[in-house]
Amino acid sequence: MTSQHVKYPAWQREFEAAIAEDDPKTLRQRVDAAESAIFVRLQNVVGDEEGQALHEATQRLRVIQKDKLGYPDWNKR
Amino acid sequence: MLAQPLRRRTVLLVDDNAVVRTLVRRLFAVEADFEVSGEAENGREAIEKAVNLRPDLVILDLAMPVMNGFAAASELRKSVPDTKIILFTVEEAEGIDRLANEAGVHAVVLKHNAPELIPQARSLLDSEDEADPGKLRTAS
Repeated sequence: MTSQHVKYPAWQREFEAAIAEDDPKTLRQRVDAAESAIFVRLQNVVGDEEGQALHEATQRLRVIQKDKLGYPDWNKR
Repeated sequence: MLAQPLRRRTVLLVDDNAVVRTLVRRLFAVEADFEVSGEAENGREAIEKAVNLRPDLVILDLAMPVMNGFAAASELRKSVPDTKIILFTVEEAEGIDRLANEAGVHAVVLKHNAPELIPQARSLLDSEDEADPGKLRTAS
Protein backbone atom coordinates (compact mmCIF):
# COMPACT_ATOMS: atom_id res chain seq x y z
CA MET A 1 0.00 0.00 0.00
CA THR A 2 1.33 3.43 -0.86
CA SER A 3 -0.17 6.88 -0.53
CA GLN A 4 -0.14 7.19 -4.34
CA HIS A 5 -2.73 4.45 -4.49
CA VAL A 6 -5.34 4.73 -1.81
CA LYS A 7 -7.39 1.60 -2.15
CA TYR A 8 -9.19 1.92 1.18
CA PRO A 9 -9.89 5.61 1.80
CA ALA A 10 -11.85 4.93 4.99
CA TRP A 11 -8.69 4.08 6.94
CA GLN A 12 -5.61 3.71 4.73
CA ARG A 13 -4.40 7.32 4.96
CA GLU A 14 -4.53 7.29 8.74
CA PHE A 15 -2.71 3.96 8.79
CA GLU A 16 0.05 5.16 6.47
CA ALA A 17 0.46 8.34 8.51
CA ALA A 18 1.03 6.20 11.61
CA ILE A 19 3.52 3.96 9.83
CA ALA A 20 5.43 6.95 8.48
CA GLU A 21 5.49 8.95 11.73
CA ASP A 22 9.02 9.49 13.04
CA ASP A 23 8.28 11.94 15.84
CA PRO A 24 7.77 10.04 19.09
CA LYS A 25 5.72 12.95 20.44
CA THR A 26 3.01 12.52 17.83
CA LEU A 27 3.32 8.79 17.19
CA ARG A 28 0.72 7.82 19.80
CA GLN A 29 -1.73 10.30 18.31
CA ARG A 30 -1.18 8.88 14.80
CA VAL A 31 -1.56 5.30 15.97
CA ASP A 32 -4.75 6.18 17.84
CA ALA A 33 -6.15 7.87 14.74
CA ALA A 34 -5.34 4.83 12.59
CA GLU A 35 -6.81 2.48 15.18
CA SER A 36 -9.97 4.58 15.37
CA ALA A 37 -10.42 4.60 11.58
CA ILE A 38 -9.87 0.83 11.45
CA PHE A 39 -12.31 0.23 14.30
CA VAL A 40 -15.04 2.27 12.60
CA ARG A 41 -14.40 0.50 9.29
CA LEU A 42 -14.54 -2.91 10.97
CA GLN A 43 -18.16 -2.24 11.96
CA ASN A 44 -19.12 -2.39 8.28
CA VAL A 45 -19.25 -5.49 6.21
CA VAL A 46 -16.01 -5.62 4.27
CA GLY A 47 -14.81 -8.05 1.66
CA ASP A 48 -12.19 -10.68 2.26
CA GLU A 49 -9.45 -8.65 0.61
CA GLU A 50 -10.07 -5.54 2.69
CA GLY A 51 -10.60 -7.70 5.74
CA GLN A 52 -7.15 -9.18 5.24
CA ALA A 53 -5.68 -5.70 4.71
CA LEU A 54 -7.34 -4.52 7.95
CA HIS A 55 -5.94 -7.50 9.78
CA GLU A 56 -2.41 -6.84 8.52
CA ALA A 57 -2.70 -3.14 9.34
CA THR A 58 -3.81 -3.97 12.87
CA GLN A 59 -0.86 -6.30 13.34
CA ARG A 60 1.55 -3.57 12.20
CA LEU A 61 0.00 -1.10 14.61
CA ARG A 62 0.43 -3.64 17.41
CA VAL A 63 4.15 -3.91 16.61
CA ILE A 64 4.50 -0.11 16.75
CA GLN A 65 2.64 0.01 20.05
CA LYS A 66 4.88 -2.67 21.51
CA ASP A 67 8.24 -1.64 20.06
CA LYS A 68 7.97 2.15 19.93
CA LEU A 69 5.27 3.08 22.44
CA GLY A 70 6.19 0.57 25.13
CA TYR A 71 2.87 -1.25 25.38
CA PRO A 72 3.22 -4.48 27.38
CA ASP A 73 3.22 -7.58 25.20
CA TRP A 74 0.05 -9.50 26.00
CA ASN A 75 1.55 -12.64 24.52
CA LYS A 76 4.18 -12.83 27.26
CA ARG A 77 2.72 -13.73 30.60
CA MET B 1 -49.08 -2.56 42.60
CA LEU B 2 -46.14 -0.43 41.57
CA ALA B 3 -43.79 -1.77 38.99
CA GLN B 4 -40.31 -2.49 40.20
CA PRO B 5 -37.88 0.15 38.94
CA LEU B 6 -35.46 -1.25 36.41
CA ARG B 7 -32.05 -1.81 37.93
CA ARG B 8 -29.50 -0.51 35.53
CA ARG B 9 -26.37 -2.59 35.26
CA THR B 10 -23.22 -0.51 35.55
CA VAL B 11 -20.43 -0.78 33.00
CA LEU B 12 -16.79 0.30 33.14
CA LEU B 13 -15.27 0.86 29.68
CA VAL B 14 -11.53 0.23 29.39
CA ASP B 15 -9.73 1.06 26.17
CA ASP B 16 -6.73 3.25 25.42
CA ASN B 17 -8.51 4.64 22.36
CA ALA B 18 -10.97 7.45 23.14
CA VAL B 19 -12.91 6.94 19.91
CA VAL B 20 -13.52 3.29 20.72
CA ARG B 21 -14.69 4.24 24.23
CA THR B 22 -17.05 6.85 22.81
CA LEU B 23 -18.60 4.47 20.29
CA VAL B 24 -19.04 1.71 22.84
CA ARG B 25 -20.52 4.20 25.31
CA ARG B 26 -23.09 5.13 22.63
CA LEU B 27 -24.02 1.49 22.19
CA PHE B 28 -24.82 1.15 25.89
CA ALA B 29 -26.43 4.60 26.18
CA VAL B 30 -29.50 3.55 24.20
CA GLU B 31 -30.08 0.48 26.37
CA ALA B 32 -32.40 1.18 29.32
CA ASP B 33 -30.92 -1.55 31.47
CA PHE B 34 -27.31 -0.36 31.23
CA GLU B 35 -25.43 2.63 32.51
CA VAL B 36 -21.79 3.41 31.78
CA SER B 37 -20.42 4.40 35.16
CA GLY B 38 -16.82 5.04 34.21
CA GLU B 39 -14.00 4.83 31.72
CA ALA B 40 -10.33 3.95 31.97
CA GLU B 41 -7.42 4.14 29.53
CA ASN B 42 -5.33 1.21 30.71
CA GLY B 43 -5.42 -1.84 32.93
CA ARG B 44 -3.96 -0.14 35.99
CA GLU B 45 -6.50 2.66 35.86
CA ALA B 46 -9.24 0.07 35.28
CA ILE B 47 -8.41 -1.70 38.54
CA GLU B 48 -8.43 1.55 40.51
CA LYS B 49 -11.79 2.59 39.05
CA ALA B 50 -13.33 -0.86 39.39
CA VAL B 51 -12.48 -0.97 43.09
CA ASN B 52 -14.17 2.40 43.59
CA LEU B 53 -17.14 1.97 41.26
CA ARG B 54 -17.85 -1.75 41.72
CA PRO B 55 -19.32 -2.09 38.22
CA ASP B 56 -21.41 -5.08 37.22
CA LEU B 57 -19.40 -5.40 34.03
CA VAL B 58 -16.02 -4.38 32.63
CA ILE B 59 -15.50 -4.10 28.88
CA LEU B 60 -11.77 -4.62 28.57
CA ASP B 61 -9.44 -3.95 25.66
CA LEU B 62 -6.40 -6.19 25.28
CA ALA B 63 -3.54 -4.08 23.89
CA MET B 64 -3.11 -1.08 26.19
CA PRO B 65 -0.23 0.88 27.67
CA VAL B 66 0.90 0.41 31.29
CA MET B 67 -1.07 -2.82 31.83
CA ASN B 68 -2.68 -4.99 29.16
CA GLY B 69 -6.09 -6.61 29.29
CA PHE B 70 -4.98 -10.06 30.40
CA ALA B 71 -2.96 -8.73 33.32
CA ALA B 72 -5.83 -6.43 34.26
CA ALA B 73 -8.38 -9.26 34.10
CA SER B 74 -6.34 -11.37 36.50
CA GLU B 75 -6.15 -8.49 38.98
CA LEU B 76 -9.82 -7.58 38.55
CA ARG B 77 -10.88 -11.11 39.41
CA LYS B 78 -9.09 -10.74 42.73
CA SER B 79 -10.14 -7.15 43.47
CA VAL B 80 -13.76 -7.25 42.29
CA PRO B 81 -14.69 -10.94 42.06
CA ASP B 82 -18.39 -10.25 41.44
CA THR B 83 -17.70 -8.12 38.37
CA LYS B 84 -18.03 -9.81 34.98
CA ILE B 85 -15.38 -9.18 32.33
CA ILE B 86 -15.79 -9.08 28.56
CA LEU B 87 -12.56 -8.91 26.59
CA PHE B 88 -13.23 -6.63 23.61
CA THR B 89 -10.43 -7.13 21.16
CA VAL B 90 -9.47 -7.02 17.52
CA GLU B 91 -7.12 -9.95 18.06
CA GLU B 92 -8.11 -13.24 16.47
CA ALA B 93 -4.76 -14.94 17.00
CA GLU B 94 -4.65 -18.57 17.91
CA GLY B 95 -4.55 -19.00 21.65
CA ILE B 96 -6.49 -15.84 22.54
CA ASP B 97 -9.37 -17.81 24.02
CA ARG B 98 -7.03 -19.93 26.11
CA LEU B 99 -5.17 -16.89 27.45
CA ALA B 100 -8.48 -15.11 28.11
CA ASN B 101 -9.71 -18.13 29.98
CA GLU B 102 -6.56 -18.31 32.07
CA ALA B 103 -6.84 -14.61 32.90
CA GLY B 104 -10.38 -15.10 34.20
CA VAL B 105 -12.22 -13.36 31.38
CA HIS B 106 -15.90 -14.38 31.16
CA ALA B 107 -16.51 -13.67 27.46
CA VAL B 108 -14.68 -12.50 24.35
CA VAL B 109 -16.24 -10.19 21.75
CA LEU B 110 -14.30 -9.23 18.64
CA LYS B 111 -14.09 -5.56 17.78
CA HIS B 112 -15.40 -6.04 14.27
CA ASN B 113 -18.76 -6.88 15.81
CA ALA B 114 -19.19 -4.20 18.47
CA PRO B 115 -23.03 -4.40 18.62
CA GLU B 116 -22.64 -7.98 19.86
CA LEU B 117 -21.42 -6.49 23.14
CA ILE B 118 -24.99 -5.75 24.23
CA PRO B 119 -26.54 -9.23 23.94
CA GLN B 120 -23.35 -10.79 25.27
CA ALA B 121 -23.36 -8.44 28.27
CA ARG B 122 -27.03 -9.06 28.95
CA SER B 123 -26.64 -12.81 28.67
CA LEU B 124 -23.61 -12.82 30.94
CA LEU B 125 -25.24 -10.68 33.64
CA ASP B 126 -28.52 -12.56 33.47
CA SER B 127 -26.71 -15.83 33.95
CA GLU B 128 -26.69 -17.28 37.42
CA ASP B 129 -23.54 -19.19 36.62
CA GLU B 130 -20.64 -18.40 38.83
CA ALA B 131 -17.58 -17.36 36.89
CA ASP B 132 -16.03 -20.51 35.61
CA PRO B 133 -12.83 -20.37 33.57
CA GLY B 134 -14.12 -23.38 31.67
CA LYS B 135 -17.16 -21.48 30.46
CA LEU B 136 -15.59 -18.75 28.37
CA ARG B 137 -18.08 -17.32 25.88
CA THR B 138 -16.94 -16.14 22.50
CA ALA B 139 -18.69 -13.99 19.93
CA SER B 140 -17.14 -13.12 16.60
